[in-house]
Amino acid sequence: MTDGPLVVGYGNVLRSDDGVGWQVADLLSADPRLDGATVLHLHQLTPELALDISHASVVVLVDAQHGPEPGTFEVGRVEPAEDTATTWSHHLDPPSLVGLAVELYGRAPEVYTLGVGIASLEAGDRLSPAVESALPAIVEAVAALVAQHSTGSATGIGVVSRA
Amino acid sequence: MSSTIVIDPVTRIEGHSKITIQLDDRGEVVDAHFHVTQFRGFERIVQGRPVHEMPSIMARICGICPVSHLIASSKAVDEILAVEPPPTGADLRRVMNLAQIVQSNALSFFHLSSPDLLFGFDAEVARRNIIGVARENPRLALDGVGVRRFGQQIIEWLGGKRIHPSWIVPGGVDAPLAEETRDRILSTIPEALAAVERALAWYKSSLLQWSDEAASFGAFRSAFMGLVDDEGNVDHYDGKLRVMDADGRLLADRIDPRTYDEYLGEAVEPWSFLKSTYWKVLGYPEGVYRVGPLARVIVAAQMGTPRADMELDEFRRRLGRVPASSFHYHYARLIDTLYAVEKIEQLLRGPDILSPRVRSFAGVNRNEGIGVSEAPRGTLLHHYKVDDDGIVQWANLVIATGHNNLAMNRSVLQVASKYVKSAQLTEPMLNRVEAVIRCYDPCLSCSTHALGDMPLQLQLIGPNGQVLDELMR
Repeated sequence: MTDGPLVVGYGNVLRSDDGVGWQVADLLSADPRLDGATVLHLHQLTPELALDISHASVVVLVDAQHGPEPGTFEVGRVEPAEDTATTWSHHLDPPSLVGLAVELYGRAPEVYTLGVGIASLEAGDRLSPAVESALPAIVEAVAALVAQHSTGSATGIGVVSRA
Repeated sequence: MSSTIVIDPVTRIEGHSKITIQLDDRGEVVDAHFHVTQFRGFERIVQGRPVHEMPSIMARICGICPVSHLIASSKAVDEILAVEPPPTGADLRRVMNLAQIVQSNALSFFHLSSPDLLFGFDAEVARRNIIGVARENPRLALDGVGVRRFGQQIIEWLGGKRIHPSWIVPGGVDAPLAEETRDRILSTIPEALAAVERALAWYKSSLLQWSDEAASFGAFRSAFMGLVDDEGNVDHYDGKLRVMDADGRLLADRIDPRTYDEYLGEAVEPWSFLKSTYWKVLGYPEGVYRVGPLARVIVAAQMGTPRADMELDEFRRRLGRVPASSFHYHYARLIDTLYAVEKIEQLLRGPDILSPRVRSFAGVNRNEGIGVSEAPRGTLLHHYKVDDDGIVQWANLVIATGHNNLAMNRSVLQVASKYVKSAQLTEPMLNRVEAVIRCYDPCLSCSTHALGDMPLQLQLIGPNGQVLDELMR
């Protein structure tokens, strides 16, 4: 029994393209294809999110990312961390967060990251043109991930459980 | 040969900073500084903005304690509008403020400090984190997630979202409390109380093993400051300022917070963006005082709720009326959290809590306003001046971390003097220097902003600038 799909858009909306996760979450909140899903807007991934993850049927984490060309995006699957090298507990990286969910609640579903390439992290509440124009494609990609899982066509690690 | 050790950045605090430790030619610590290296400048950014926007702008100062800034800012704007929120509006603000206290205190104790307390300051770095806690003591980790979630859920249920809710507005709150929401919050109270009491029991059972750290983690005589109500009990939302010295004598009592600048000075040092606030009568830098959970439980006669009062009695039996060590912030933070959960329940069971009268409306009626409240880390003041059209001309923020700046610097020097030896740069030494800062749970976002994470770096630098030794993680 789960609470359905979970989508998390996170970042700092006052740092231009770092707010792309929130913009995607805004659009998905009104998207009928995600009826029944939980859509969260967060600044960062914090430890208590482990409980939400453990209850979800599938998780998609949307964030800005250094590396890809601005407006392009990469989808990755998250493996739960066995350990964490960081001592920082204000926020966690996706593998550590999924690892914490498995450690505390004995379960994590498939978790994906969708990293959007950025053009600017300057102070400002607007996305760059490249990232702004990519929003429809990003929304489609998240919706497709959720739909794939609903129809059982997703492949990969599946649910991670602790004995 | 004299030298300097630099810890940059300090980890497991909110924001970015570094610590420098200066050694003399015999390798003994002679001075230490806690530097806040990020800059934000909200006091300048808001100039020219309409005063009604202030609460929502000021909430953006911090992603951890936005509600605290919403409260203080809205109270400052209340003064400019010359309005008093309806009693129910004020009580609902109190509930959200206390929920903020709970979630932030939980972050500090469970997520940031419990790894040190569970494994010890000498334990290997790879274990001293929340996943390590989850493996070693799952109950403690689950309670940490549960208590923080309790506070965040209340904020979300009242304000519509976990971070930066806009429900608290000038004149009160934006919408009355729904009966269903009240009942939903009340249903979560018993487990929150149980979780905080479990944490208290666990902490008290391990307190004796930290006697060495307690003796050197900011153990010095200073004053303490916090808000109290008419009966002298803790008040996180309103009340008057009380200042108590190290012997338990009142230096000042029932001070109208609006006269803060008669008592509090703000000094600026070239090595930090964080202002140092001091008690004017004693001058700078002698006028050191502390705020936050430890100060709150010290200056108050009682907490004002049954369970928290019992815990406060035990706290005073164990540690005395005015404990000198900042290590006891941890203990005080748990009592503060227990009080907040109890008080939320009391407020929600009030007969008028569902009243539809929650907001007063008015235009600009004054050109100046000061709002004060207790934030998780201590007393928070917002002070604004506006023109006749309500456009902000000037703003001053006195942040809890600024109140504690002098005390944090003195604490770093004390810990470094005991643990730092120039020839031996070790991880436990480094962790203790950082840990004494974490006792205060400083929120640097509230005083300044930096992007990205930096590795922890500790450098021993010789008189000619050469790196003599270095630690990274």
